[in-house]
Amino acid sequence: MELGQHISQRYNAELEDIRNKVMTMGGLVEKQTSEAIKALLDRDGELANEVASSDDVINQMEVDIDEECTRVIALRQPTAGDLRLVIAVVKVITDLERIGDEAAKIAHYAKKLAKKETVTGMHAELSHLSQLIMSMLQDSLDAFARLDSEQAIKILSQDIKLHKEFNVISRLSITHMMEDQRNIKQALQVNWCARSLERIGAHSQNLCEYVIYLVNGKDIRHTNLEHVRRKYFPEV
Amino acid sequence: MTEAMTHNIENRDEFNVEINGTVGKPLIDDPKFTTRNVDVHYGDKQAIFGVDLDVGKNEVLAMIGPSGCGKSTYLRCLNRMNDTIPICKVTGDFKLDGEDIYAKNQDPVLLRSRVGIVFQKPNPFPKSIYDNVAYGARLHGLTSNRAELDDLVEKSLIRAGLFKEVKDDLHKPGTGLSGGQQQRLCIARTIAVDPEVILMDEPTSALDPIATALIEELMIELSGKYTIAIVTHSMQQAARVSSRTAYFHMGKLVEVNDTDSVFTNPEHQLTENYITGRFG
Amino acid sequence: MSTHNTDKIKAKLKKRYAKERRFRAYGIASLAISFLFLLTLMVNIFSTGLPAFQQSYIKLDIHIDAEVLGVTKASDREALFSANYSKLVKGTLKEMFPDAKTRKEKRARNKLVSNSASYDLRDHVIENPELIGTTQSFWFLAKDDVDVYMKGKIDRNLPEDDRRIKDFQLTWIDQLQEEGRLEKRFNTTFFTSGDSREPEQAGIKGALIGSLLTMLVTMALSFPIGVLAAVYLEEFAPQNNRWVDIIEININNLAAVPSIVFGLLGLAVFIALFGVPRSAPLVGGLVLTLMTLPTIIIASRAAIKSVPPSIREAALGLGASKVQTTFGHVVPLAMPGILTGSIIGMAQALGETAPLLMIGMVAFVADVPQGILDPATVMPVQIYLWSDSPERAFTERTSAAIMVLLAFLVVMNFIAVMLRKKFERKW
Repeated sequence: MELGQHISQRYNAELEDIRNKVMTMGGLVEKQTSEAIKALLDRDGELANEVASSDDVINQMEVDIDEECTRVIALRQPTAGDLRLVIAVVKVITDLERIGDEAAKIAHYAKKLAKKETVTGMHAELSHLSQLIMSMLQDSLDAFARLDSEQAIKILSQDIKLHKEFNVISRLSITHMMEDQRNIKQALQVNWCARSLERIGAHSQNLCEYVIYLVNGKDIRHTNLEHVRRKYFPEV
Repeated sequence: MTEAMTHNIENRDEFNVEINGTVGKPLIDDPKFTTRNVDVHYGDKQAIFGVDLDVGKNEVLAMIGPSGCGKSTYLRCLNRMNDTIPICKVTGDFKLDGEDIYAKNQDPVLLRSRVGIVFQKPNPFPKSIYDNVAYGARLHGLTSNRAELDDLVEKSLIRAGLFKEVKDDLHKPGTGLSGGQQQRLCIARTIAVDPEVILMDEPTSALDPIATALIEELMIELSGKYTIAIVTHSMQQAARVSSRTAYFHMGKLVEVNDTDSVFTNPEHQLTENYITGRFG
Repeated sequence: MSTHNTDKIKAKLKKRYAKERRFRAYGIASLAISFLFLLTLMVNIFSTGLPAFQQSYIKLDIHIDAEVLGVTKASDREALFSANYSKLVKGTLKEMFPDAKTRKEKRARNKLVSNSASYDLRDHVIENPELIGTTQSFWFLAKDDVDVYMKGKIDRNLPEDDRRIKDFQLTWIDQLQEEGRLEKRFNTTFFTSGDSREPEQAGIKGALIGSLLTMLVTMALSFPIGVLAAVYLEEFAPQNNRWVDIIEININNLAAVPSIVFGLLGLAVFIALFGVPRSAPLVGGLVLTLMTLPTIIIASRAAIKSVPPSIREAALGLGASKVQTTFGHVVPLAMPGILTGSIIGMAQALGETAPLLMIGMVAFVADVPQGILDPATVMPVQIYLWSDSPERAFTERTSAAIMVLLAFLVVMNFIAVMLRKKFERKW
């Protein structure tokens, strides 16, 4: 996959521009997510407030990139790798925007949780899940930037680990709720945060699927991952 | 990014173009035409290097590639139009329904009635529209009386989607029509002979987009009854009308595949470079 | 940058326009010069030639005396034919101008009318034997000297010794004019008779028919041969073949061979070897065919070459054979060009003299040829012969013959244009 080398220099520039914007948007989303998580874990209400109200930039970027992709499709009629790039970008930015939304949600709950005295005993688990999610998000964005489908398939195989972590938090919150009914609200909020984190992980995995589509031209959504891995990435 | 790039190019370099190295699916199960080891020389210059390619029954096969890549030359081998060029030497196996079309006892005139051709520039004869369409039928004695001929002319014009426009002017000169109409007249003239295969050599390159769209529509309709092989410079056209696409490069057949996979995910780097408009 | 360039271009522009204007002026000048030459030629030819279309006639009242002739109304054709009519004519002249005394004057008197007068009289009497014994008025051809005088070519104010018409002849002519017996009429003889030693009796018909027959032979041979040769060379001959190349080069060379060489060839081959009759339109046509062929072949090849290859491909692609393609499409489309080339070749042949000199078509032929094997001459040769004759009256006939030849050419070109139009209308 290379973007340059087109006979039309402007076409090169347009594709490069789209890709750069996606990377910028990815960076913003990543920052947003990490700050939301920081606010959640550090019980930093101020930071949470800031994050919750700042996803406008991301939304605007989604609209801009979308528009640019439409223009390229209309004017350049991209084919093959170029076509896959544009299509992948259109999908990637949707997922990035959702991640931004989830980050805002986390920030929203973080705000509420920050007012509470204690986060009932799930700090360690949340922190654990957060670390996993952050690494997945970062790695996915990295895979997209480097067009590394091997890394993408590795991230996709972290599926089970993600579900395990999420389930741990779910069970813990249920336990908390059963122990003391006064905990229900707080436990639910924690659970929702975990849910959002899990969503971010799922969206990150979507990014990886797009990377594989972009690089290998294979749409692996809704297929057996193990099968795909064995067929296309035997060495991973 | 660079790391990924090199990785991909390495992957693709495993296809060797030098020795009949066609990637994709050049051979198919139910072919109309089979061609093997096709070499074409113009004098001392070799224009086509060992092409193996099948054309399926009732499919539209598009041939794309940069100018001088040999796609037109290959097309013209299929009805022996290259015979008319004295310095052109064609070797290889060409079989139409299993029958060797370059065999000693094979008559090129008969072959051309089975394999019609439509050229880049609309070239109606300087005769009336009627006479243009009737020409082949008269030549081969396909009809026994005037009424049958009238019928054939009308049917052919209808099938070429031209009848409505010219039905009152059948005896006006064919050269007086617009470019797009002329090309459809040429198609009508070709299908009046009822060939099994229609070859098209850049049939719309001289036409405006609307005329082009009409002819593309026509090709898709005709593909139900005829086997069509088309050479085109317009990749969008190949993408729109064909079921399989063959990419030629410097006289070699680089890649043949289902059209959608060629245009979304070509296997060969050369194909990718060509269809995405990159430097070869 | 752009203004900088604009200035440069502007500076150059003036020069460029001046050059253009100059070039146009050269063109107009050269056109004007050629037109002037043409005009001079035309004025010269027409002014000398036009009088030839008129001829002086003299009216004589002749008593067809049976005794002088020695025949009766009942005499047979043979007797009527061999009777002495010139005696009647001379007798009538003697009665009219009895003042002639010397031998010289008497001879001049008899030479007022052409010697064809007695033949005309004879023919008339043979046709109408019942006229014998009556007196009839006849208009006879005047002798060329009288005719030349009538056309004002002889100045009577010159001293008598310097003119061909002497004073006594002038009095007779004056007398004839006074009596209304001498007048100029349209010269039908010029178009109805063949060559003659007597200018007043000489006509163009023999040469015209000779030319026509020769052209017919030339066309019948050179057109099909030329066109077929061109078609073969252009459409069927193997390319890059040494023999074809040699033939091509030789055809081109033949077009540049002096025409007299073709005459020598005709003499050696057609007359000496094949025994074709000398001086006949057939041999003339054969020689001119040789001369015309290269022109027709070259022009036809050019015309065939200019037929777009897409038409050939279209026909071949529909399953037409090579011959069907060639004769069904290529040749008809090339026809206008082929015809133009052929007519140019024919026009050249029509004006050709040199090769015909070698095969005896320069002979004096008084009879109008009846077929392609009769001795004949052609118009340019006739013009050449007349221009060589000493009689004054032949000068105007030479120019008149040139006019007829030009008219012939114009008609041929007109036919060419018509044919071209006709074939072109078929798109």
